[in-house]
Amino acid sequence: MTDKPLALIAELTHRCPLRCVYCSNPLELAGRKQELSTAEWVSIFEQAAAMGIMHAHFTGGEPLLRDDVVELVSAARKSGLYVNLITSGVGLSEGKLSKLVHAGLDHIQLSFQDFDEEAAAEISGVRVLAKKREAARLIRQTNLAFTVNLVVHRKNLDRLEELIAFAEGLGPQRIEIANVQYYGWAMENRSSLLPTREQVERSVEVLNRRKLAPHKNIAIDFVTPDYYGKYPKPCMGGWGRRLMLIDPAGRAMPCHAAAVIPNITFDNVRDKQLRWMWAESAAFQMFRGTEWMQEPCKTCPKQEHDFGGCRCQALLLAGDASAADPVCTLSNKRPLVDSVLQITNAVKESPPPHLPRTLPLIYRSNPS
Amino acid sequence: MIITDGAQPRLARGCRFGADDTLLVPEGVLRLKGTGAEILKRCDGTRTLGEIVGEMREQFVGMVESDVEEFLRKLNERGVVEW
Repeated sequence: MTDKPLALIAELTHRCPLRCVYCSNPLELAGRKQELSTAEWVSIFEQAAAMGIMHAHFTGGEPLLRDDVVELVSAARKSGLYVNLITSGVGLSEGKLSKLVHAGLDHIQLSFQDFDEEAAAEISGVRVLAKKREAARLIRQTNLAFTVNLVVHRKNLDRLEELIAFAEGLGPQRIEIANVQYYGWAMENRSSLLPTREQVERSVEVLNRRKLAPHKNIAIDFVTPDYYGKYPKPCMGGWGRRLMLIDPAGRAMPCHAAAVIPNITFDNVRDKQLRWMWAESAAFQMFRGTEWMQEPCKTCPKQEHDFGGCRCQALLLAGDASAADPVCTLSNKRPLVDSVLQITNAVKESPPPHLPRTLPLIYRSNPS
Repeated sequence: MIITDGAQPRLARGCRFGADDTLLVPEGVLRLKGTGAEILKRCDGTRTLGEIVGEMREQFVGMVESDVEEFLRKLNERGVVEW
């Protein structure tokens, strides 16, 4: 058995007005008919709080597309959870925001693709920048804690300084600059989105300079591009160790991408209690702790630090979910990552004739 | 950030008390130990640092002003307390 989870990730819906090419949702999206009812979510929040979970992160898809989102915020807050809403801002009217605040929302994270309408639309597939700016303006008028999220990739990383200045102008307390993580739809578009080494190095310089500058009371969190790292990230803080995700159809999952793993089965909140699923279900046991590890993780001194990295990445890149995360330089599969980087970094100077400079982007579909 | 005697510290946006002397913050949870919880409960935006120190010294023998100041400065760096 392990400790209780710290946070519940509540994927309220897979429906979304945006069609971002870097979306980490699964390729197979749940439709509206499969979504949990209000009462089912309320029960999840009560069970989560009773287990000692502290935070609930409302996400999706776009959580605002749930007609009952205000009721759900209120229920989660009444259960004792700290409620964070992760949103595109599309559909956030002044009235809706005021209701969310009164319902007890603690924190809001608003995503932006770019400060340039064309560049933003190329990524999100829709023109919504004005709506997002308006959402930021409305949020600033409340007392909500406000984080701006910006996902970075090859197409915008060269403009990181301007992107940060834009985000600062929106008036948040925090800015999250996150490199794309290659799962789901993002993996489909990896060859268009993976930045070059030069871009990554420059972006680190920009962030280091920002750290030295007077910091305007705005904190910046940076999610590094893990293909360029030496060691993997402790994905999800370790499998089944910190986080519990409930997907729109009620499946309890250790991470949002876990459905790609062959032979994994997920229990559902419609049949089982959260407490049981956390402690006993096959999915949460599968890669918990260190027993499942192969070499080099099995005898690695860092095994309790990164927990072998990401299981989904191991599956997607090495074809084996119990292998070390191939981004680890100690992994014998690291050449798989290096060959991807080699192509990425070659394209810029002289694209081989069989590789077009830019591939068509694949936009996230939308479930009915 | 420097804190003066007349400053009125308060919890930053998105930070509030949870059950069992925990402080819920956007990125997670801080578990507060004895006097830390007592100091933070007094950070209501109306009491001054001087008043908080006075109350703490009355309640806890051996507490000195610099303990309170240092605690608040650290939490300010983490974005939890502002003034």
